[in-house]
Amino acid sequence: MKILVPLKRVADPDNANKVKVTAGKLDTTGMQWKPNPFDEYAVETALRLTENGASTKVRLGEVIVLTVGPKEAETQLRGALATGADRAIRIDATDDDLDGDVVARAIRAVVEKEKPDLILVGKQAVDGDSNQVGQLLAEYLGWPQATFAGTIKSEGDTALLVGREVDGGTLTLRVTLPAVVSVDLRIVAPTSVSSKHSPTHTYADGVRFAALMAIMAAKKKPMVEFKLSELVSDAAAKIAYTTHELPPPRKAGIKVKDVAELVDKLRNEARVV
Amino acid sequence: MLELPDDHRAILDTVRRFCRERLEPRVRAFENGDEPLEPFFRELSESLGLREVADALVDGTASPFEGVSPLVLTGFVMHELSRCCPGVALSFGATTGLFGGAVMACGTPDQKRTWGRRALSLDAVGAWALTEPGAGSDAFGAMRTRARGVDGGFVLRGTKTFITNAPTCDVALVQARVEGASDGKIAGFIIPTEARGFTRGRPFDKLGMQASPTGEIFLEDVFVPNEMVLGGLGADGLPHDARFAIRASLGAERMGMIPMLLAMVERCLEEATTYAKGRVQFGAPIASFQLVQEKLARIHTTKMLLEVLFLRQIEAIACGRLGAISRAEASAQKLFAAKAAVDAAMDAIQILGGAGYMRGSVVEMMARDAKLFQIGGGTDDMQILTIARELLRQQ
Repeated sequence: MKILVPLKRVADPDNANKVKVTAGKLDTTGMQWKPNPFDEYAVETALRLTENGASTKVRLGEVIVLTVGPKEAETQLRGALATGADRAIRIDATDDDLDGDVVARAIRAVVEKEKPDLILVGKQAVDGDSNQVGQLLAEYLGWPQATFAGTIKSEGDTALLVGREVDGGTLTLRVTLPAVVSVDLRIVAPTSVSSKHSPTHTYADGVRFAALMAIMAAKKKPMVEFKLSELVSDAAAKIAYTTHELPPPRKAGIKVKDVAELVDKLRNEARVV
Repeated sequence: MLELPDDHRAILDTVRRFCRERLEPRVRAFENGDEPLEPFFRELSESLGLREVADALVDGTASPFEGVSPLVLTGFVMHELSRCCPGVALSFGATTGLFGGAVMACGTPDQKRTWGRRALSLDAVGAWALTEPGAGSDAFGAMRTRARGVDGGFVLRGTKTFITNAPTCDVALVQARVEGASDGKIAGFIIPTEARGFTRGRPFDKLGMQASPTGEIFLEDVFVPNEMVLGGLGADGLPHDARFAIRASLGAERMGMIPMLLAMVERCLEEATTYAKGRVQFGAPIASFQLVQEKLARIHTTKMLLEVLFLRQIEAIACGRLGAISRAEASAQKLFAAKAAVDAAMDAIQILGGAGYMRGSVVEMMARDAKLFQIGGGTDDMQILTIARELLRQQ
């Protein structure tokens, strides 16, 4: 099985307090970047679907990671190659010029070249939380889609049984391949992914660590670059950001002298009771 | 820490994530002795692929890390383990660095394939035994453990003490004086702990490094076959003199302490800064008071200086000039860094006040652990003598 995993770099949420806004624009200088966690789950899912469980070195399919972004985003692609992905594609673009729609159309162009059997995406990126690319991509390709996957069971190479996390429980869908599946947190639980090669393997919880030697070997794995304009004729984003501003700083708290005053303030000032 | 090239950074980040997810939650259990270290080391080995690294180093297949030396890699692991729990790093270092490093440097091909591989991949816990009840700083002169030549090998008798990993090790490299050698020759003997006559004491209770078991080794006529003499026998049928190798091991140990101490100072600075910004007294965060700022600035300065020392090591390794770092410099690096880290950790406790003095606070652990570095691997006093001796010889 050939699996394509789009991967976005996001500002490290642990350093979110360092985000600066200069003249209505996000200032990314000095920002620390890391892969979007949901995309890391998608990579982990793709690796689990293409190995036999016994050895992470034997890959029974191909995993291609892709990002749309500047040269520096190759660091995140190399990280995915180190954990086991086979090759990487970077579509050169600056973050400011992108929205979910441009990204989906760029990925569609790559899909037409690569013809993967499955596209695994994170359900959303933790920066914009847009939750659009997977769905737009499926629509543009005319492929079936299943979003918010918590479990995936492969049925040979022709279909997947996807457990989707929805309000009130799990909805199981059978999608025929090729398809787009977006994954949620629980997809990296020990037994969430059941591949045809190792239907009952129990994995370590979470996203695997790159073996130290694999980090160096990843430097030699293939990475190709496309220009956004080579892939998308109209690369104009449909969403324009007019301005950015930081949330207002929190006001200092006050002390109340008794319960009566507290209730009064809650009722008449905060208007919450 | 440090501005590093991408590949170095990727390795450091991976080890850091491993330590944050798998080590940090267990630090208290390791410190209290509620959980053994071995399962953690197995996880470390499996998750980060240390067996492959060991195979590549032992079999001498092309350099496993083009551009990143295994020495730097070990430094990174020691750094990240020490950020969470220096005691865990100490035990890791005794197995892979002291025991594994000595076998890889001086062992026969068979010894490297068996014991080198097992130590580097953390399949076995190793110990390196030099110190004795009567032989500390005067380790060579006062050594009383004896190896008597017998048919097919040697019989060892003596006691070793303050040995890291002694209570838990699977194998120990024991230094002993060879009987009958006129020059007071000392040799290294690889002894699996199931050997008859090999016993050890209970783990010592100690000021710091509580996650790392320390203890005694008793050798009562332990037979060691010739093939387990470190480096085998020379043309004269006698063991090689290990004194040079022991000094080299001590030098490497002292250098290896720098990334540990750097990480400890970094952690102290982080803890102290966070606390100082959040702790409000007299209506303002204590970070706004100049006496607190003075301590933070000093810890920061220490951190920068230790970074410089570590970078100097990385540079020397990258240029293949590690040998050019003299024994006196290794001593000087350790002498400075150990004292600086103790001071930094004490300053950090001072900033946290009562909260820093309580058992279980990170800075309290760091302060106790830092003190070891002024004693282990050669006391501060002995480092000073080494530095002065080399300095005066050159002048």
